Amino acid sequence: MKVITLDTSKCVGCRNCELACAFINSKETCERKFSMIRVNHYIEEHAVIPMTCLHCEDPWCMAVCPSGAITRDPETNAVIIQDEKCAGCKMCILACPYGNIHFDAELMVSHKCNLCEGNPRCVGHCISGALNFEEIEDFNERSRKKVDLEISKYMKQTCKTQEVDSNGK
Amino acid sequence: MGNKKKVKTTCRMCGTLCGITAHIEDNKVVEIEGNPDHIFSKGRICIKGSSAATWLNLPDRIYKPLKKNIKGDFEEIELEQAMEEIAAKLLELQNKYGNNAIGFWKGEGIDFEQQEGLYRRLAHAVGTPNYFSNDTQCYASRHIAFYLVYGCWPLADYANANLIINWGTNAPISHSHWTQAINEGREKGAKLIIIDTRYTEIARQADIYVQIRPGTDGALAWGIIREMIKRNEIDHDFVDKFTVGYDKVVEYAKSFTPEYVAEITAISPAVIHQIVDEITKARPRLASWVGCGIEHQINGVNNIRAITMIDALAGATDRKGGMRTPMGFNLPDLTLYEKKPLLELDPIGAKRFPVIYEMRHECHTLMLMDQILSGKPYPFKGLVMSAANPVLTNANSGKVTKALSALDLFVVKDLFLTETARMADYVIPAASYLEREEMFFNGAMRAGFITGKYLDYGLQTEYEFVKELAERMGAGEYFPWKDDHELNEWILKPTGYTTEDLHTAPGGFIFGDNPTEKHYQKAASGEKMFDTPTGKVEFYSMYLEAKNIPGIDALPQYHPPYYLAQPDPEYPFLLSTGARKQKYFHGRYRNIPQLYKAEPNGHLEMHPDDAKALGLKNGDRVRVTSRIDSFDTIVQVMHEKEIFKGSMQHTHGFVNENVNNITYDDVYDPISGFPVFKSIQVKVEKIDK
Repeated sequence: MKVITLDTSKCVGCRNCELACAFINSKETCERKFSMIRVNHYIEEHAVIPMTCLHCEDPWCMAVCPSGAITRDPETNAVIIQDEKCAGCKMCILACPYGNIHFDAELMVSHKCNLCEGNPRCVGHCISGALNFEEIEDFNERSRKKVDLEISKYMKQTCKTQEVDSNGK
Repeated sequence: MGNKKKVKTTCRMCGTLCGITAHIEDNKVVEIEGNPDHIFSKGRICIKGSSAATWLNLPDRIYKPLKKNIKGDFEEIELEQAMEEIAAKLLELQNKYGNNAIGFWKGEGIDFEQQEGLYRRLAHAVGTPNYFSNDTQCYASRHIAFYLVYGCWPLADYANANLIINWGTNAPISHSHWTQAINEGREKGAKLIIIDTRYTEIARQADIYVQIRPGTDGALAWGIIREMIKRNEIDHDFVDKFTVGYDKVVEYAKSFTPEYVAEITAISPAVIHQIVDEITKARPRLASWVGCGIEHQINGVNNIRAITMIDALAGATDRKGGMRTPMGFNLPDLTLYEKKPLLELDPIGAKRFPVIYEMRHECHTLMLMDQILSGKPYPFKGLVMSAANPVLTNANSGKVTKALSALDLFVVKDLFLTETARMADYVIPAASYLEREEMFFNGAMRAGFITGKYLDYGLQTEYEFVKELAERMGAGEYFPWKDDHELNEWILKPTGYTTEDLHTAPGGFIFGDNPTEKHYQKAASGEKMFDTPTGKVEFYSMYLEAKNIPGIDALPQYHPPYYLAQPDPEYPFLLSTGARKQKYFHGRYRNIPQLYKAEPNGHLEMHPDDAKALGLKNGDRVRVTSRIDSFDTIVQVMHEKEIFKGSMQHTHGFVNENVNNITYDDVYDPISGFPVFKSIQVKVEKIDK
């Protein structure tokens, strides 16, 4: 099952993901308040952090929802909120430890990422490559390669006689 | 629904040209996504790209030619009538005032590349040398600098670099897919150094961010060069065999000690050493790029030349992970500069700025405005403009408006009634990039791209317009091709491929390999190694030496920028403009509702200390005044690290906060004739409303 992965070492905070998400949700504006993905930039910490729903396997929001509005899409595995069932109690917003659920003040319901039915527009608009829609194992593979590269560089420095392939093979 | 299709083609919402998949239903584009097969953008696009699905269908798009009546209102007319009247008027003006009294201006609103060749051809075909484009304000300075040093426009091989240096360029906003390539290089271990007066988006991932005093990049480049020489971190084999002027570089660099450079640039000697440490570790895999940020100063070309020299001294020229040089496609040239140069007709700006005219054949748009108004040295009365919006994007908007109003005939071809189109006597509806077949090429990747007529609203393509105008003006012989498809087949012929071949790979059709280090093979076979007068990389330009123009150095010496050379206490702050927003492309796309809602205004970005000194806070309204004029805008106080203290930035293209009301159109880089968009001296005062 594919998930959206977020790579903070690549994100430049261009916010194309926010703009695209806001538009696909609102159909009429790219204003940030309509976006389910939010990118925060911390200049002192030299950090840019994109964040959107992680579609937890055991979601707090789903457990806490008193109206049964939060369900899982069997096709995409997305945790979704059904507008028509949401009572607007905001319990899910309180329950989400990552701040990934937002409140639509016009419709008076909670909103969150629904993976755009399997075609997340944020990823298609991620011009830096920080966001990917992929199997979690593929993400692991990429992470592993990065770490291996670091380790092999270190090994090259410390064990001069031992040649290590830069792919860590 | 009826007819549905998905087509893979190229985005032309800006000049980056990413790959797109357009979803089309019943002759209407309904959604645009990235094309995963595209060799550069790999399935990712920015918000401009996808918003084209709204833009191309906006209700105010023009589908019928418009003619201004006596009252000043537009009335719809038939295309036949419009073309007949325009051609007749152009001929009348030529007969009355001279062949060069008319001109053609190519904008960036709708085309890829070919339109440029077509309009250049049209101008000379009908007997005028006056071809204009925005290249005299953007791009051509770098072209000149790169060609003076390398003889080509290189490609920074970010993905394979050990070190990436960006000078005054912000890939995520201006060249989105380069961000992927930069990150690919970083993922493999490349370090990233960002040199910019503003802490831009790309700076957020930099290993070293260098906040340089605006316009002093050349001094930093010379400081880096001096230190490289001192440490003997020079690729001597390359320098000995393939360059000229190294001894002069060594001599001139001597005075640029880290301490002296620190004084000029506000960058500490320790940081200068750190940059050189990184170059030392990385070379020859050094991929660097220079952006518009450097171009808009009186010392722009020379600063870029000095920066470019670093790559060559490090041996990065045409190396993997360095600066790849392109390979040509041997395509025929559409222009008539050899057959019909028309130099005797005094192309506007060619005498004052011979370098940009000789190297780029660009007439000068700023001098054009003066000439329209003064009639000197000869009258200029008629202008045909394809999808440009100089009312917002040229320096000194007030003068632009006055000049364009003074024309006897002003024709604009565009998709919408832009601020500029509203001034026209005739507006001709343009076909968008999804409505015609056009090709463009990338020499470093040896890739070709083609678009097609995926939508059809019965609108004239650029080629049809140019051909018909030429025919009606008696120059039809220059446009023998029936339509753009036939033209494209003719262009491709020498390559042995056809448009059909290109259509098989809309994400980039690869013509062949482009090997690195071509200069070694060329040297061995006696070919010209680089396209410069000596065939070598020229640290010292033989072309400029031969031109012997006062104030233009054959060696790219460092001169201070205008605002430092001519300080004016009445205007104590430095205003720079030209940094883009991700939603807009210069003067375009404010008419896309979803983008406009997210960013309706321009802002004056300033340092918190400057805001404090002026008693300003976020959201305050201010009047910004230069010696040209003033404009009103809204304050945005940045983080103290985000902008060089004393300098401010305002993005162009906002009609209500039009920064170009106050930009200078009379201070130029003496080599390129570029205006100093990043050297505007201003005062700022708070206003109530």
